[in-house]
Amino acid sequence: MRTEPYLSDATVQAPLLSCEAVEKRYGEFRPALMGLDLTIGRGEFVLVQGPAGSGKSVLLRLLAGLEAPSSGAIRIAGEDLARMRPRALRHLRRSIGILPPGDSLLRRRSVVENVALAAWVAESTFEEGMRRARAALELVGLDVERYGGASCQRLASGQRQCVALARALVNRPALLLLDDPLTAFDEATAARIIDVLDQFSTAGVTVVAAVRAGAAGTVSSTVWPSRTRTLRLLDGKLAQ
Amino acid sequence: MSYTTSRVSAMGEALRRTFGRPIEFGLLVASCATMLASLALIALTLWRTLPLEQPQWMRPQALVLAAGAQGEIDLAAVQTSLRRVTIVASADFLARDAALAELAQRKSLSAIGLTDLHPNPLPDAFLVRFVAGVAPEAVEAAVAELRKVKNVESVEYQPELYRRISRLSQLAGRVCWLLAAPLTAALIIGVALAASLWVRVDPDEVQVLNLLGADPSVMQRPYVYAGALSLFVAAALAWWMVAAASAWLEPLIGAAAQDYALRWEPAVLPIWAGALFCVGAALLGALLAWLAAQVAIRR
Repeated sequence: MRTEPYLSDATVQAPLLSCEAVEKRYGEFRPALMGLDLTIGRGEFVLVQGPAGSGKSVLLRLLAGLEAPSSGAIRIAGEDLARMRPRALRHLRRSIGILPPGDSLLRRRSVVENVALAAWVAESTFEEGMRRARAALELVGLDVERYGGASCQRLASGQRQCVALARALVNRPALLLLDDPLTAFDEATAARIIDVLDQFSTAGVTVVAAVRAGAAGTVSSTVWPSRTRTLRLLDGKLAQ
Repeated sequence: MSYTTSRVSAMGEALRRTFGRPIEFGLLVASCATMLASLALIALTLWRTLPLEQPQWMRPQALVLAAGAQGEIDLAAVQTSLRRVTIVASADFLARDAALAELAQRKSLSAIGLTDLHPNPLPDAFLVRFVAGVAPEAVEAAVAELRKVKNVESVEYQPELYRRISRLSQLAGRVCWLLAAPLTAALIIGVALAASLWVRVDPDEVQVLNLLGADPSVMQRPYVYAGALSLFVAAALAWWMVAAASAWLEPLIGAAAQDYALRWEPAVLPIWAGALFCVGAALLGALLAWLAAQVAIRR
C-alpha cells in the first residue's frame, strides 16, 4: 500500500508544534480555549497543568487533529492541520502516540492485541506488530507472559493505563499527547513511567502531558524531569 | 499489507463476529430467512401469474341470434357489423346445424324428442365476447348497440351476473394489494432490522481505530463482510424454504388453476435464480453493514 508523505521537506526545520490564536467553542457556552498561542520544539517535555474544565483535554484533542479549532491555526512541523486532507491527517495520527482520558481499550481483545492494533493500523505485519507490542508492554513494566493474553476487562485500572500507554508508544511516535497519564498509578509506578517518557523525550520525541493541578492522586511535580516546561491553563487561557 | 488492513484478517474478524455467538446468529438467520422466503414467494407468485388475465368465464359475453333462416341473410356482413361495435373483442359464428347436432348429443333433450325436430328450428347465432376488464355499464351500452345491428333478432345477455363478477373481481384485487403492499414493506423493514442487529457496529472500536489513524475502509471491512456473510446464509436457507414450499403446494395450485382456467406456469426453480438470490442478499447485507459502519464512523 502506498503511503503518502504528510510532511513536506520545507517544513522539517519548523517547530514541531505551534498554535496561533486558537479558539475552540462548543455551541453558546464559554469557549473551551481562547486565544491560545503556543510553540513547542522537538524533544521538549511539556506539562500542561490546570484544574478540571480548564481546557487541557480539548487542547490535546485539537493537537491530535481529532477536532478542528473554531478559529486560529494549529501546525505540526509547519503543516496546518485544518488544510490537511483527511487521509493525510490519518497518516499523521499514526505517528502520534495518543493517550486519551480513560484508557480507550477494546475490552474483548487481549492486552497484546490492544497494543499491536496501533502497529497494525500503521501498516506493520502481524508478527512485527506483536513483537513491538510485547516490547512496548515490557517498557511500561507490564508482565507480558502473565498478562499478554488476558482480556483487558480483567485488568486493574493501573494495568489498563499501562496498556494504553504502551499502545501510545508502540509506533515510536514523534509526538506523545498524554491526557492524565499518571492518575491510575502509585508513586513508584508513576516514577518509572515518567522515567520512560523522559527517555523518549531525550531521544527527540516531543512529550505533551496534561495533568490536573491539585487533584487527589496527582503525583507531585518534583518527580517530573528537571527540564520539563510547565504551562498553566485556566478557563481556556494560558496563565502568564 | 498489514494484519488489520488485509482482507483475509477482515474476513477472519467477520467470521469471528458472525459465528462467535451461535445461538443469536441462528435465531437471526432463521428469522431473516423466513422473511426473505416470504418475499421470494410473493415475487415468485407474481412472476408466475403476471400478466394477470381474466379467465374466459369471467369475461362478459353475449349470444346474438340472427334473424331469418340460413341463406336468407348475409351472415358475414352481420359478423363484420358486430365486430365493429366498441369493446367487442370477438364475434364467433355458431351455425344452427352445429347447434342442433350438439343438442342431439344430450340424452336429456333426445328423450323429449327435441332432436327429432324438422326442419331445424334453431337460428344462426354469434357468440360475442367483450374486452376484459371493462365496466358493466359499458358492456350494457355495447349490448344495446348490438341489438340495433341489422338482421339481429335478439341479444341474450345477463347484466346482473357480470355486475356481480366485476364487483367481486375488483374487491379481490383491492384486498390483495391492501395485504401485499404492507406485508412486503413489513418484510423489507424486518430484513433490514434483522440485518442491522448482527452488523451492530461497536462504537468503542470505531473510536479507538479512528484515534489510531485507521482508514475508514479498514474499519468498515469486517462489518461489511459479516453483513454479506450473514445475509448470504439467510438467503440460502430462505431459498431452501421456497423450494420446499413450492414442492408442497405446486400440485394443489396447479389443479386449482386448471379448474378455474387461471394462468399458472408450472416451473422448476432454476439454480441460477437461487444463486442470484443469494448473491443479491449478500450484497444487500454488505450495503446495510456499510451504511451502519459509515454512520458510526461519522458520529
